[in-house]
Amino acid sequence: MKRSIPLAIVIILGFLFVGYVFIPHKISSDFYEWYMEWMKAMSPFGVILGIMSIIMTHTARIQHKVPNWQYSIVTLIAMIFTAYAGFAWGTQEGTPFMWLFKNVQMPMGATMFSLLAFYIASASYKAFRARSAEATVLLLAAIIVMLGQVPVGVSLFGEGINDITHWILNVPNLASKRGIALGVGLGMVATSLRILLGIERTYLGGGE
Amino acid sequence: MNIFERLQMLDRRWIFLVVAIAIIVPLIIPFNSKTYTTEPTEKLYRLIDSFAPGQDEKPIEKDRALLLVFTHDASTMSELFPMEVAILRHCFARKIKVFTLTFLPSAAPIMDYAINTVKEEFPEVKSGEHYVNFGYKIGALMLPIILGMGEDISEAVDIDAEGRKISSLPIMKNIKNYNEMNLIMDFSGSSAGGAWIVYARSKFGANVGAGVTAVMAADQYPYLQTGQLTGMLAGLKGAAEYEKLVDVFATNQDPAKREFSRELLKDTKYDDAITNPNIKTKFKQARIGMNAQSVAHIMIIVFILIGNIGYFITKYKQKQQG
Amino acid sequence: MFEIVSNWVAAFLTLCIFSFLYKDNPFYRFAEYLFVGVTAGYTIPLTWEMAFIPYVYRPLFLQHKFILLIPAFIGILYIFTFNRKLNWLSRYPIAFGMGMVGMGVPLSMHASVLVQMRGAMIPIESINSLLVFIGTITILLYFYFSKAHTGTYGKVVKIGIWYMMIGFGASFGYTVMARISLLIGRIQFLVSDVLHIIK
Repeated sequence: MKRSIPLAIVIILGFLFVGYVFIPHKISSDFYEWYMEWMKAMSPFGVILGIMSIIMTHTARIQHKVPNWQYSIVTLIAMIFTAYAGFAWGTQEGTPFMWLFKNVQMPMGATMFSLLAFYIASASYKAFRARSAEATVLLLAAIIVMLGQVPVGVSLFGEGINDITHWILNVPNLASKRGIALGVGLGMVATSLRILLGIERTYLGGGE
Repeated sequence: MNIFERLQMLDRRWIFLVVAIAIIVPLIIPFNSKTYTTEPTEKLYRLIDSFAPGQDEKPIEKDRALLLVFTHDASTMSELFPMEVAILRHCFARKIKVFTLTFLPSAAPIMDYAINTVKEEFPEVKSGEHYVNFGYKIGALMLPIILGMGEDISEAVDIDAEGRKISSLPIMKNIKNYNEMNLIMDFSGSSAGGAWIVYARSKFGANVGAGVTAVMAADQYPYLQTGQLTGMLAGLKGAAEYEKLVDVFATNQDPAKREFSRELLKDTKYDDAITNPNIKTKFKQARIGMNAQSVAHIMIIVFILIGNIGYFITKYKQKQQG
Repeated sequence: MFEIVSNWVAAFLTLCIFSFLYKDNPFYRFAEYLFVGVTAGYTIPLTWEMAFIPYVYRPLFLQHKFILLIPAFIGILYIFTFNRKLNWLSRYPIAFGMGMVGMGVPLSMHASVLVQMRGAMIPIESINSLLVFIGTITILLYFYFSKAHTGTYGKVVKIGIWYMMIGFGASFGYTVMARISLLIGRIQFLVSDVLHIIK
């Protein structure tokens, strides 16, 4: 029962949606409008999940005094304070809430990912080796594409570098990405179909 | 041990230092470099430009609009933000109706920031009349809204970021669904317009364009060939290209030169953007960045070469020693 | 003045993160945990304002659409995910959202498979379209694992491997560009907005 009713909901709604795609009728658009209104009413509660997960993880870290547990206090205080700022002073431009986001969250988020520039440089120095014919082709294609993207490529090798890059991207690259995309596309359809027919059930979690 | 072998042992923090210098120096010493535009960018530019009202037409009467979807947070902002600014500048300069929307909470301030950055230079542009920020809609509503807009945008989106009813806004005159809001530009570091291609394009025939981080650019070529993606801006280079197109055509002082033409693009007088004080820094951010990109790419290629020379020397020596 | 202070706060946190390049240290860890906290805290008022008020509170309490109590109740069941005994209740909101998969079957089939196949079946009028055709076929054969990659078949799929290597090379070239761009953005912030070296 605990599994079969949710499963039935997925299958019934799923087939109604198949109908919605193919049947342009008032009943089908009415069904869609009903679904949308209900989804909207359900939507805010999903966010609670993420917040609860963070609170639980970090309070557990503090309780069990795991190494570096002190930093979890920083996370919890930052979360409570940011949320409080949003409720107390609003979320519009010019509020403390937005200030926190723009001067604390945004710069750190952007910088975390920019560290990758250093690691890819160090990897290209220490790891990218032409160990086989295939690896050599890969490296050559990469070098040409890199040169084709920047103005200095043309200054060094003439406009021909742009044409070669264009060819690589539009011919061998296109063929290779299409082959892979078709595989992924078929996989996606197969997975959706398995869910629709109730064969794939892992999204419902474990247990009975 | 020769120099190449010794270089192989180098602590990686020295490499980090070289990377930092290679990027900082070209940024603080500005120099001009030519931006070459590519077809995926030009196609997008031309389609967006075709949404501009004619000379005798009131912008508000125009039955074409563009939707910009911000599907990224601050982490990929360096690549995507200059694109967004360039396209908004194009829209505001040519009075093209434009909407903005996001399903990510962390993209909402980026959207405001992009609009405000461009709006400062266009005091005549008004919210609700020339553009509307639909604001942040919760992620679970992504598909319902994508599909809903195929029927009626005002109903699907309901209220904008300022809490106004969409249906009451003057900009909505002659705009109902994807037949009018004919192009969706998705800026993303992960999806490349995925859901828009599957749902808005397959079911309603909307045009979809992608502003993607360079990581994803190579994967989009099959979709460009089939026309599922109308065009694409690929990373910082794509942003630099669009910045240039806006400079050359959309904001051209001579109204006769606002139509796209390949001849005008070749004119070398547009190659001095970086040192040209008349073009504000915020509108050439990507082109300035491309100078550093040039130096960094050469640096990476040299790294790969040095690394490989060392590798082959070591391999050769090992072979000799048996 | 206020803007200068704000920029310096952002710059300090940016440098905290960069300090990881030297080695892991308390400044980096502080910034990392602060980041998680602010990000999580940020979503709470926004969800309240942009989802709860317009989609639950207003329809229920101002427009009196009491039928929406049902989906709101189903939505609340999400929180049982963390309860070992009652987590089966959280399957209801998940199932309700999953229903849309029905639309995914025909539409993904169209967008990801049929249109791509149509794109692969254009008349071969140039060497390039022939090359694209050969590449697509040999890669698809490579992914057909039911036949051993030996003999003539092995040689054919080898062509597919070469195509893929060029494709991966192109992706790698672009990836280098992407990573460098992200760093350029941060350095632009430091030298232009904070230090005002570029005007």
